[in-house]
Amino acid sequence: MERKFYLWMWIGAMLIFNPTAVLGEQMEHRPAAAAAKTDQKKKGNDFEHIHALATDAEGRILFLGAHTGLFRSEDGGSSWKKMAVATQHPHLDVMAVTPDTKDSKTIYVATHEAGVFKSTDGGATWREVNTGLGGPDVHGLAIDPNTPSKLHAVVREKGEGVYRTTDSGGKWTRVDDGPGGEVKLLASVNIPTGMGGIFLYAGTAEGLQRSPDCF
Amino acid sequence: MGGLPTNRTVNGFAVEPGNPKVMYAAMRDGLFKSTDAGESWKRTGSELKNFAAVTVNPKNTRQLYVATADGKVSISTDGGLQWKAQQ
Repeated sequence: MERKFYLWMWIGAMLIFNPTAVLGEQMEHRPAAAAAKTDQKKKGNDFEHIHALATDAEGRILFLGAHTGLFRSEDGGSSWKKMAVATQHPHLDVMAVTPDTKDSKTIYVATHEAGVFKSTDGGATWREVNTGLGGPDVHGLAIDPNTPSKLHAVVREKGEGVYRTTDSGGKWTRVDDGPGGEVKLLASVNIPTGMGGIFLYAGTAEGLQRSPDCF
Repeated sequence: MGGLPTNRTVNGFAVEPGNPKVMYAAMRDGLFKSTDAGESWKRTGSELKNFAAVTVNPKNTRQLYVATADGKVSISTDGGLQWKAQQ
């Protein structure tokens, strides 16, 4: 556990006496949830809390993952339509939206309560791709930009850890304990590690961390 | 390395697909941009805050979208300098 932990390195550092950071400290205590509720009513949106935003491979469709589900926009975010991901889970909390980087019809979503779903028809139909995944609470889902059949997922709580699939979600294998702290996102970034792989970046409650993906 | 507040939650993250040294981090304190693979960060689009997510259009990498935690989506067409609310 400890050995793996040190693979994940923190990125960036706080500037000493950085006024932005001080201001941020004050904002942490702001009643953001209350403010958000008011704004939604004004806008007519029903996202509640937004987790993810993604663009399809063609750059035409925006996807938004929220506490109240998955949404898509074809007009650059001016209007949104809710997508039906799974009838047996009508209230999915969508934590990550990960479009295939080469095939605009293929999209993956990670959910808080039912693992990973995949669509190969632009989001019209979905199926669960959870074989081998240790738990249902997936907080991050990264697709390899060079090899889109390779994805990494961060599972929280039950079965916690980083899982990898090399066959587009056919089967997952646990490969690492993952970064410390609450994970908000996972991204595969095409920066070579020098060890034959690329870097995985994780957005966490403790900042941005990265690790070589050759676990 | 510098400029990115540490011990703070990174809610969203995106890179330019063709040039992944250009990175964006969406945080409560604002949107931060790096052009050197995360060695240094600068806040961009300074009037906006409370970001939940960010994405880069893979076909036009000057075009970015951000979402704030309270559900507002904004677009930038100049790599994050200027923003326009979409709703």
